[in-house]
Amino acid sequence: MSKKINLTLKVWRQPDNRTSGRFEVYPAQDIDTDMSFLEMLDVVNDELEKEGKDPIAFDHDCREGICGMCGCVINGQAHGPDAATTVCQLHMRRFQDGMTLVIEPWRAKAFPIIKDLAVDRSAFDRVISAGGYISVRTGAAPDAHAVPVPKDSADQAMDAAACIGCGACVAACPNASAMLFVSAKVSQLALLPQGQPERDQRVVSMVSQMDSEGFGNCSNHYECEASCPKEISIKNIARMNRELTRAGVRS
Amino acid sequence: MASSNRTLLQSSIVRKQIVAVTGLAMVGFLIAHLSGNFLIFAGPEAFNGYSKKLHDLGPILWVLRIGLIAALLGHVVLAIKLTGENHAARGGRYAVSNSRGDGGFCKKTMIYTGILILVFVALHLYDFTYRDKTGDPTIVEGVNGGLSLGLFGLVWNSFLQPWHSGLYILAMIILGFHLSHGIQSLFQSIGFFHDRYTPMVKKIGFALAILLAVGFISIPIYVNVVRTPHL
Repeated sequence: MSKKINLTLKVWRQPDNRTSGRFEVYPAQDIDTDMSFLEMLDVVNDELEKEGKDPIAFDHDCREGICGMCGCVINGQAHGPDAATTVCQLHMRRFQDGMTLVIEPWRAKAFPIIKDLAVDRSAFDRVISAGGYISVRTGAAPDAHAVPVPKDSADQAMDAAACIGCGACVAACPNASAMLFVSAKVSQLALLPQGQPERDQRVVSMVSQMDSEGFGNCSNHYECEASCPKEISIKNIARMNRELTRAGVRS
Repeated sequence: MASSNRTLLQSSIVRKQIVAVTGLAMVGFLIAHLSGNFLIFAGPEAFNGYSKKLHDLGPILWVLRIGLIAALLGHVVLAIKLTGENHAARGGRYAVSNSRGDGGFCKKTMIYTGILILVFVALHLYDFTYRDKTGDPTIVEGVNGGLSLGLFGLVWNSFLQPWHSGLYILAMIILGFHLSHGIQSLFQSIGFFHDRYTPMVKKIGFALAILLAVGFISIPIYVNVVRTPHL
């Protein structure tokens, strides 16, 4: 049974990256517990617009937990309190009546704030451009079983490929490190035969791009893994460490 | 793919791997050091004999020492640099921060425990390596007819001072904290992860950290319990 709850929101408001931001307090009244977190923000924004105020900017797209667009830090946790859940799939039944929620954007030097809760994650795109692809001639699709892939490798590559690039790993990391994201992208290709020709160059280029974007270094806290909505394992980080050493030894 | 002008050595990962490998080398040193120190339980002859044998190695000892100093310097300089970069990368603090991993006091304090251990190493080198091993501080009262007991006597007298033992024990507890994250963490950094063996590595790393700390602490405790060495 759904019910209605009232909450107090402390939301980070920041007009743009050049202006400093601050928290604003808004009431969230009569919130249906069957709403998602983003629907709750929509309701609050409706009220703000009625009052002639600027609505809270936040990123969202599919609202099905698979696109990687949404994300904010709720009471100090990326994507909120539920494990393996994006903020669009977080539901208001998770919260109690009368709670205060502190809502902040991903905070990382490499993710400049666009407005309020929306951050610029194009650093991730540049890391992918540096090597997160395979170079193949397009044409007719090859037969499905033309290239054999060991079951274990296929499973691990699939697990790594579950990454939606939302940036929660960076947001949760005390060092704002992008190691979980980059290692998932390196791993999904390093594990498969199609990724072999560019394997060494890929890891070197992607790590180099990651470093120059201003992400921090991994200090093995594993907050990333605990915050990842797709449960990407830190074993990918170990694999990337190994891949880089391998590339260095082979070059 | 975009060619990179950064050399591999400047990459965040390789620098961390250097911290990991130098850390591992120093853990190896600690195991050897503690094994040697345990000879204090066997009395001055065994302990001073071990010390003399080490010194008699001459140039080989210096090769080992220079290797150890290089490992220490590499570890400290890179760790401080990486920590500085990590602070810069954060870009604004969260108003609320709520860890959902396994928390980890030891993980968060690596840089501080590390710096405290560095200070301890400096004091410790002055204490037992640099200081004269023939004078008054090496004579243990009421033992050996007022004659010097060499390094054994120096260590024994030092630990009989409560503040000295206290600081030493505190330093070893800090070392235990540092190693309890450090030993298991270095395997991840050098790229070792295995579904079956990594949980074992974590347990063994944690146990080794505690064993090393407790091992070193046992010496001042022994000195203060026995008070007069049996010759």
